[in-house]
Amino acid sequence: MEENVKKALEFANYQQTLTIQRKVLKEKVEAKLTFGHNGGIFKITHSLIAFVQMLIDQGRVSGVPLVDENYNPILIDNLEEFRDEMLDRYFSSVQDYYEKYQDLKKHRSVEKLVDL
Amino acid sequence: MNKGVLIFAHNSRDVDYILLSMVSAKLAKKNLKVPVSLVTDQSTVDWMHKSGIHSKVEEIFENIILVDRPQTTNRRVLHDGTDCSTIPFVNTNRDSVYDLTPYDKTLLIDSDFLIFSDRLNHFWEVDQPILIPDYATDVAIYDRFGYHDKYISDTGIKMCWATTVMFDKSEFSKTFFDLVSHVRENYERYSMIYRFDSRQYRNDIAFSIARHLMFGFDTSYAHTLPPPYTTLDRDVLVDVKNNGDLKFLITQHFDDKYCLASISGVDVHVMNKQSIVRHADKLMEL
Repeated sequence: MEENVKKALEFANYQQTLTIQRKVLKEKVEAKLTFGHNGGIFKITHSLIAFVQMLIDQGRVSGVPLVDENYNPILIDNLEEFRDEMLDRYFSSVQDYYEKYQDLKKHRSVEKLVDL
Repeated sequence: MNKGVLIFAHNSRDVDYILLSMVSAKLAKKNLKVPVSLVTDQSTVDWMHKSGIHSKVEEIFENIILVDRPQTTNRRVLHDGTDCSTIPFVNTNRDSVYDLTPYDKTLLIDSDFLIFSDRLNHFWEVDQPILIPDYATDVAIYDRFGYHDKYISDTGIKMCWATTVMFDKSEFSKTFFDLVSHVRENYERYSMIYRFDSRQYRNDIAFSIARHLMFGFDTSYAHTLPPPYTTLDRDVLVDVKNNGDLKFLITQHFDDKYCLASISGVDVHVMNKQSIVRHADKLMEL
């Protein structure tokens, strides 16, 4: 096989593994950004964080119903605690996602990508 | 509220389901921090004694619940990478779970579902009697699931994945599982109504129909569990690292061309059962 074709096939193989590894990281961060609260399931998104902060800024801090992932109204007793939990989860999981993603970008072989 | 995980395991000559359930139970206990119980039959318990693992099984499981071994004519094709065989498949008593479970809230999992995160812990408090995943996610780049992994037939309803099912002890749940039994007992009849292939009994299909009926023929189910992250039986688990990294060979096009992947920190449904058996010792040490 010609050298350039061999190189291209090797790169294709590397690219497949890289894509799967990125998918695994995405699955992991999505799992960490989903959390249960008072019988509801919430996904931490930028819009949820901003909306909750806006409610707090307007003085609505307790007994606020929010619509969860399943479109159920869930009563949040303490909105500030709810926001803090979201932010803690958001930063720890996205920081981890960032670090692992940067790690992947550095690796230029299949062996290194899967840490063999 | 008393909550826990339940696993069914009926050994066959071809697959050591009890070993799979031990691996799955140990990981569930470690990562969800809840007790795990086992549903099995006398012949499987006899085998545990013979092979000297009974005391280990007793140590892992909070309860060992004995039931009659279901009679089955079910057979399925099971791959182990590029190898393949047709084996008997005992899966017809899953609907008895409501009466068997010792827990108020139960997470029923397949013995090939390996829990590496606390993700499912968020769902215990969800105010719903039954939660079932609506679909599964493939680990490969492109989705390798066929149409009949997503719908029960060409013209049928969406298929849920009974790999993980969370339910409570409510009247609703009881009716649901009674309905699953009814669908199983009248499988041929329901195959004509829902137009699916009835040659092999599938829990996924019976659960999907029961859910369709129970929810008033509504197909927009809002309450589900996360889709199981799934490696197919043609993929091969090749190594387990001490830090919990699982190394897989993934085939994108069902041929003999594989690419390497490393999965860690996420719950994973490993459909290649022999792969788990080969690495059972290492998996149980994690």
